[in-house]
Amino acid sequence: MQTKNRPVMEVSGVSFSYGTNQVLNEVSFAIEENKITTIMGANGCGKSTLFSLMTKNRTPDQGQIMLCGKNIQSIGLKEFAKQVSIVHQYNTSSDDITVEQLIAFGRTPYLRLMKGKSEEDEKLIGWAMDVTNVRKYKDKEVGKLSGGQRQRVWIAMALAQNTKILFLDEPTTYLDIRYQVEILNLVRKLNREYGITIIMVLHDINQAIHFSDRIIGLRGGYVEIEGNPQDVISGESIQALYGISLEVAKIDGRKFVLTV
Amino acid sequence: MEKRGKTVKRVVPFAVIVLLLGSLFFVAANTGSLKVGFGELMRGLFVEFDSDVATVYDLRFPRIVISMLAGAAVAVSGALFQAVLKNPLADPGIIGISSGASFAAVVITAAAPQVYFFLPLAAFLGGIFAFLLVYGLSWKGGLSPLRIILVGVAVNAMFTGLSSVLNSMGGGEVTGVASIVNGNISLKTWDDVGTLFPYVTAGLLLAVIFAGRCNVLALEDKTARGIGVNVNVLRIVISVIAVLLASISTAIVGAVSFLGLIVPHIGRILVGSDNRVLLPFSMLFGAFTFLLADTIGRTIASPYEVAASVIMSVVGGPFFIILLRRSKKYAN
Repeated sequence: MQTKNRPVMEVSGVSFSYGTNQVLNEVSFAIEENKITTIMGANGCGKSTLFSLMTKNRTPDQGQIMLCGKNIQSIGLKEFAKQVSIVHQYNTSSDDITVEQLIAFGRTPYLRLMKGKSEEDEKLIGWAMDVTNVRKYKDKEVGKLSGGQRQRVWIAMALAQNTKILFLDEPTTYLDIRYQVEILNLVRKLNREYGITIIMVLHDINQAIHFSDRIIGLRGGYVEIEGNPQDVISGESIQALYGISLEVAKIDGRKFVLTV
Repeated sequence: MEKRGKTVKRVVPFAVIVLLLGSLFFVAANTGSLKVGFGELMRGLFVEFDSDVATVYDLRFPRIVISMLAGAAVAVSGALFQAVLKNPLADPGIIGISSGASFAAVVITAAAPQVYFFLPLAAFLGGIFAFLLVYGLSWKGGLSPLRIILVGVAVNAMFTGLSSVLNSMGGGEVTGVASIVNGNISLKTWDDVGTLFPYVTAGLLLAVIFAGRCNVLALEDKTARGIGVNVNVLRIVISVIAVLLASISTAIVGAVSFLGLIVPHIGRILVGSDNRVLLPFSMLFGAFTFLLADTIGRTIASPYEVAASVIMSVVGGPFFIILLRRSKKYAN
């Protein structure tokens, strides 16, 4: 797992500011193929802004973000949606849409106006339902699902886009611990079994350490730490990222940050 | 099993509304001093000349057809605005689109009645202007549903007032102006049908084509972008279709409030919120509702007539308040 994979996304010299408030300062790093990369940092460190820049929801003031060697600014939304899928933190839909209909939205970039679903579309919608284990609810209304089920449905919608890269913005935020772990295990399965490159933002430090191959820690608009979590997480780096002194323990050779 | 149950649940409302619309058409054709039986009507229309049927055909059919076209157009326009503005309270009448279109139509009618054929275009531009006004004034880094309604109410009041001013300046005697302001459709002819028909058909067709895309607008904007949809462009396209439908019908039947609100609202209860089903249903149900309003308006104070748009407001207002109070969604 220590082999250096080729980068699928490269962020180089990216700066961004809201008015006079500089949020990101010449940030550079690479996202390696087939790995789980987690962006972490304290509130206001710029991770949400970085996320929206990488998902084409904002444009950098300076620098560029490359996807397989191409600047994402020059890639159309539709084309981008065929290569990169995104699960945002906050999602809404009409209450009475069924699970299957919602997941079918993931096929939108491949659809043409007035054309029905192709066999390929049906196949991928079915696959997305199976992988996320939501087929049994397929005719149920999304409004009637529990939080954990709903989050799996949103992930399934992203999977139906059939992309090699999946972004997740704090996928566990509104869930209780059981569903948090369930979702993160699903994310790991998507990576390990289906070779999907994952880039996510996580709040929980231990979940980030445990579920990520690589960590990018931001502080004040700069990349503070970058690398394998077992290497880069330490009392000092936590202090640097979050401004709080926490103990880092090792159990069975794995690091845990004692967050109390 | 569940799926089949759902399909049946959707087909029934369609069948019922088609049946109701057909029956109402016949009733409306027979409302008035002249009566023709069903057989007589069919024979007169398709087989041989009958002077009674010919009179009904020339006098009543145009307004019936106009009521149905305008009803369908306004109802679908309402459903589209609700999708675009993510606001279940949006209605082309309430947010001032219709009165903007109406004012433009009034100006043309008063100032240059000879360019009558420009009326739909003028109304459309008036509607677009009103929409830009509402959209622009409501925009504050985002669109709050409530702000749209409040700004819309103000824009609506302004244009309605301006139209009244023009109407009064003509002493209320410029018939064309008065009939648009008052929503009078008693003197409509087949020419008016000819004006309305192509625009409404085109608008409804476009609405159906974009129905699937309207569904995407129910997602968060970011999510819609994530599946490759340019939300801003889509909003503009659907808004233009909605303004077109509302404006064109306003040019012929005057501003109609509540129709675009109530029809899709009940439609959602009956067939669900999937626009691919809701829009076609709203067409039929809107046509039915407005024709019903016109037919009631013709009979309720006979020999005088109450405009269909007035009936819509009188019945629509309280009806919508009931809907609001019963719905859990807006309870707080």
